[in-house]
Amino acid sequence: MNLWRKVKSMTHEGKLKAACYFFGTVVGLMGCVTVVMANWQHIYAKGPANTGHAKLNCIDCHVESAGTVRQQAQAKVRFWLGMRTADVEFGHAKVGNQQCDACHSRDQDSHPVHRFLEPRFKEARAELGVQLCLSCHREHTGVRSTLPETACSFCHKDLKLKVDPLDVPHHLLIEKNDWASCLGCHDYHNNHRRNVQKLVKEAYSPAVIKAYMDGGPSPYGTDKKYPTKEAK
Amino acid sequence: MALIPSLKLSKSVWWAGILLVVGIYLFAQRPMPLVDGESAGRTIPVEKMFRIIAAENDAARGMYTKDIVGAGMKTGLEFSEKWREADVAAGPLPALFLREAATSIQKSRVPLGLFLGSDFPIAQSNNFVSTQAERFKMMRVSPKPQFFYAPDTKLQAAMFADFAVAPGCVTCHNEHPKSPKIDWKLGDMMGATTWSYPKDKVTLDEMVQIIAAYRGGVVDAYEAYLAKAAKFSKPPEVGDRWPKDGYFLPSKDVFVKEFERRASGNTINMLLQANRPPKLPG
Repeated sequence: MNLWRKVKSMTHEGKLKAACYFFGTVVGLMGCVTVVMANWQHIYAKGPANTGHAKLNCIDCHVESAGTVRQQAQAKVRFWLGMRTADVEFGHAKVGNQQCDACHSRDQDSHPVHRFLEPRFKEARAELGVQLCLSCHREHTGVRSTLPETACSFCHKDLKLKVDPLDVPHHLLIEKNDWASCLGCHDYHNNHRRNVQKLVKEAYSPAVIKAYMDGGPSPYGTDKKYPTKEAK
Repeated sequence: MALIPSLKLSKSVWWAGILLVVGIYLFAQRPMPLVDGESAGRTIPVEKMFRIIAAENDAARGMYTKDIVGAGMKTGLEFSEKWREADVAAGPLPALFLREAATSIQKSRVPLGLFLGSDFPIAQSNNFVSTQAERFKMMRVSPKPQFFYAPDTKLQAAMFADFAVAPGCVTCHNEHPKSPKIDWKLGDMMGATTWSYPKDKVTLDEMVQIIAAYRGGVVDAYEAYLAKAAKFSKPPEVGDRWPKDGYFLPSKDVFVKEFERRASGNTINMLLQANRPPKLPG
C-alpha cells in the first residue's frame, strides 16, 4: 500500500518514468527467460520452422563458433589487419550444408549439392545457388522447399535423350518451356522408392507438386531410400 | 560523459585510457588466439597435391576396373548403373565407383571435390561445358593435366585425363544404348576427372588428411559394393581370392592392402620430391 501511495504522490513525469522502468524491466526479464528456456526459442526465430523442423532447437543448426567472444574479436581484428589468413564468425557460425547433412545425408542422391561445385555448373550456381541446401530450402519460411519451378532449365535446357522412355518426348516439353512438369515425374533428390511415370497424363499436376513444396503430403510416397535422421 | 569533469581528467586522457583498454582486449595474447586456417610449416603447391591425389586415383580406379570389374565379368559378377536398386544383383560400374568415393570424400571434413565428365558421356549431365569443355579440348590435343581457378566458387581446379584402361570400358560404352559415341578403343581418352580444392597451397598436415580422405572414400565405395554383394541371391565368396580366380571378391582388408601396395610408393616419392630441401649455397 505504501508503494501505491508513493506512486499516487508522484508527479506526472515521475509516473511516466516509473511506468517506463516497470515495462522495461518486464520486457528485459521476458527476453532473458526466452533466451534461457530452450523450448521458447521459436519465439525469436525469424520465421516459422520449415516442414519437419518444428522440433529442432536453434543450436541444432546454429552451431556456436569456436572460441570465446574475446578470442573471436581478436581473430577478427587480426584478419582485418592481415595478421591471419582465415576469417572467423562471431557468436554462431553460418548455417551450411554440413548442418543439413547431419540429418539428411544420403549415399545416393540424383542432385547432391556438392556436385554443383564443379566448374561447369557456374550458371546454376549464379542463378540458384544450387551448391547450397539453403538456396532451395530457405529456412524459417514454414514450407518444405523454395525451389523455383523453372530451376531445372538451368542445367537441362539442352537435354537430348537417345532413348526417351516418355510417351511425349522430353525435348517437346522443353520446347514448350513446360518446366513445371519435371517434378511431376522426377523426385529431385530421387530419395523415394517408386517407378517414374512413362505417360505424361500420369504425372502429378503442378498444383500437387506446389502443395508438396509448401509442406503438404508427398505425391512420391513415403517409402524413402534414406530416411531423415532424428536430430540429437 | 558527465563523469569526466567530476574526475577532472582531460578528454585526451580518457580517450587514451579507452584505447588502451580496447587495445588490450583485442591484441593482448591472453586468451590463446584461435587457430588460423593455415598452420605454419612447409607447404605444397595445390598443383602438386592434385598430381599426387590423381595418381592415387589412377591406382584405385585401375585396380577396380581391371581386377574387379574386368576380371569379374568373366567369372559371373555383374556390374550395372542401377546397382543400387534392391532387385539388381550387380556392383557399381567404374564411373559409379568413383562417384561413390567422391560422395564419401564430401562427408569428410576435407574440402576436396572429385567429378568425372566427358565430351561424349553416357549421361548427358556429365557433359563438359564452358571452361571444362575448353580445357578438355586442349587435352584432346595433348593429354596433359589442366590447372585453373574458378573465381565464383574460389576453388582451385585440375583436370586429369581418364583413359580406357580395360576392354570392359570400351565394350560397355560402345554397347550402351545411350552412348553418343560407339567407336571407343582401348587406350582412348574417354573423359577426365576434375578435382577442386579451396587453397593454392596445402601444408603437409593437410596433404596427409587429403590422402586419408581420398583413401577413406575408396574404402567406403568398396564396402558399399561388398554390402550389396552380400545380398545377392548367390553371393560371391569374400576373402583372400580375387575375381580372376573365380566367383570371388577380395575382402575389404585384402582390397585395401593391394591398393596401398600399388599407390603408396608413388605417393611417398612424389611427396619427397615436393619437399626436397633447398641446397646449401656453394
